[in-house]
Amino acid sequence: MLEFLEQLTNGLARGGIYALIALGYTMVYGVMKLINFAHGELFALGAYLGYCLLVSSNLIGGLGPVLAIGLTIILVMGLVALAGHLLEKVAYRPLRHSDRLAAVVSALGASIFLQNAIMLTWGAQYRAYGANLLPNLLITVGGLKIPLIRIVVLFSALVVMLGLRMFIHRTRLGLAIRAAAIDQKAAKLMGVDVRQVITVVFILGPALGGLAGLMVGLYYGQITFNLGQLYGLKAFTAAIIGGIGNITGAMVGGMLLGLIETLGAAYISVGWKDAFTFLVLIMILIVRPTGILPERVVEKL
Amino acid sequence: MTVGDSLMLKLEGLKVAYGAVEALHGIDLEVRRGELVSILGANGAGKSTTLMAVSGLVKPKSGRIIFYTDDGRQEYLENLRSHQVVGLGVIQVPEGRRVFGPMTVEENLKLGAFSRKKWSEDDLKKVYQLFPRLEERRHQMSGTLSGGEQQMLAIGRALMAAPKLLLLDEPSLGLAPMLVKSIFKAIKEINLSGVTVILVEQNARAALKLANRAYVLDVGSVVLTGCAEALLTDEKVREFYLGTR
Repeated sequence: MLEFLEQLTNGLARGGIYALIALGYTMVYGVMKLINFAHGELFALGAYLGYCLLVSSNLIGGLGPVLAIGLTIILVMGLVALAGHLLEKVAYRPLRHSDRLAAVVSALGASIFLQNAIMLTWGAQYRAYGANLLPNLLITVGGLKIPLIRIVVLFSALVVMLGLRMFIHRTRLGLAIRAAAIDQKAAKLMGVDVRQVITVVFILGPALGGLAGLMVGLYYGQITFNLGQLYGLKAFTAAIIGGIGNITGAMVGGMLLGLIETLGAAYISVGWKDAFTFLVLIMILIVRPTGILPERVVEKL
Repeated sequence: MTVGDSLMLKLEGLKVAYGAVEALHGIDLEVRRGELVSILGANGAGKSTTLMAVSGLVKPKSGRIIFYTDDGRQEYLENLRSHQVVGLGVIQVPEGRRVFGPMTVEENLKLGAFSRKKWSEDDLKKVYQLFPRLEERRHQMSGTLSGGEQQMLAIGRALMAAPKLLLLDEPSLGLAPMLVKSIFKAIKEINLSGVTVILVEQNARAALKLANRAYVLDVGSVVLTGCAEALLTDEKVREFYLGTR
């Protein structure tokens, strides 16, 4: 039982990370009907920026762990958001009125470019956040020992997701994003500045992705330049499982995927971990081709 | 204010092209304050394209779209983006209604007021007075409404923007005759309350009964214009657009 709970919390933390990345895919898709293939690389960039701040600049030594992590979170989210904004300006905005396929090719190109830029900057070898970066605290709850970092990861993922939901449902800009995701042309006729909405989703999505990158670094301890590939693919899968374009769906899909993967690895076979992910994807798509929570709850006439 | 004493919208030599295909070959059109002007014509005549150009959803190839504001300024709509056009009070009810299906009726109405800094519950009440059906279904997902109710919602949503000029694109499309009647009655009411209206219709007879004046488009050009009563009895209009009766 204890081992199961141990795996469960681990799966939830992993799922929280997937969910954060999946939100970026799903928001951009919702508004632009475009898969931002470079999103995984923005996530990896977040991991490396975190490395830069926490390890290379040794912020923790200077500021103490709480302040350092807080500052790193803000800086990483801000910088990756900036990178996402630039990516939109350079790779996607010029193609807004051209063929969908052109934008897809541009997305793939941006992905390759960013991955190589990361490799050339930080090298092709693994980089370690280091096991002793943070005090190795264990929280004991009724015999169950949970590392503090796992709680931090899960908690911050949940807070950010809750915040995003409130932003989308309670604010004017959130309303504009929802409207543009349902029907761009109709949103324009309501006075929504769709160009501004696109700018916003290309800031929000990468910010969340960057945070996820930092979490992977802190949680798993080591990163590599092609980190974005597998995580990106998994999170994209999570977005599809949840129903791409649906924000709640991305959260549910991410959590589900994290759990399946962790429990599958623990109780069936570690080696087949990634295979489970895609087995689940295939099975869900056979039963519900539009995902668990499809983008449009109600079809238009 | 009497109907038609000052200009509100003027199109001068408006040309719109989709790629190499020119859809409008230079349209001249005028709408005066308080008027209900109808644009008639067959499928593909360029009626919707005209409205899309006014709303800033397609960029004209050449020509001008001049909007005269209440305080006497002239705005060249061809240079503005769609949300700026909406900001001036030029509000379109698009063809096919395009309500936000996964949102409730009331959310749709609130979204209609998106361009306004301030709006009040009174605005909602006015819409519900005009269309009581919408109040009954205020918490229902709008995608589950019938076609007629969706049309009411689309018009109500536009009213929430406090329109000065209301552009209606085929509001009768696909509706049962009874519903068409009540929609048209509502449009007349809106017009009489002081909103200038451009009504694009294929249902020419019904539109002409409602309108002060009308323009008839054919393959991207204005072929006929005049006051609605005259057009209703015009031989050519009867033959091409009204059928013989």
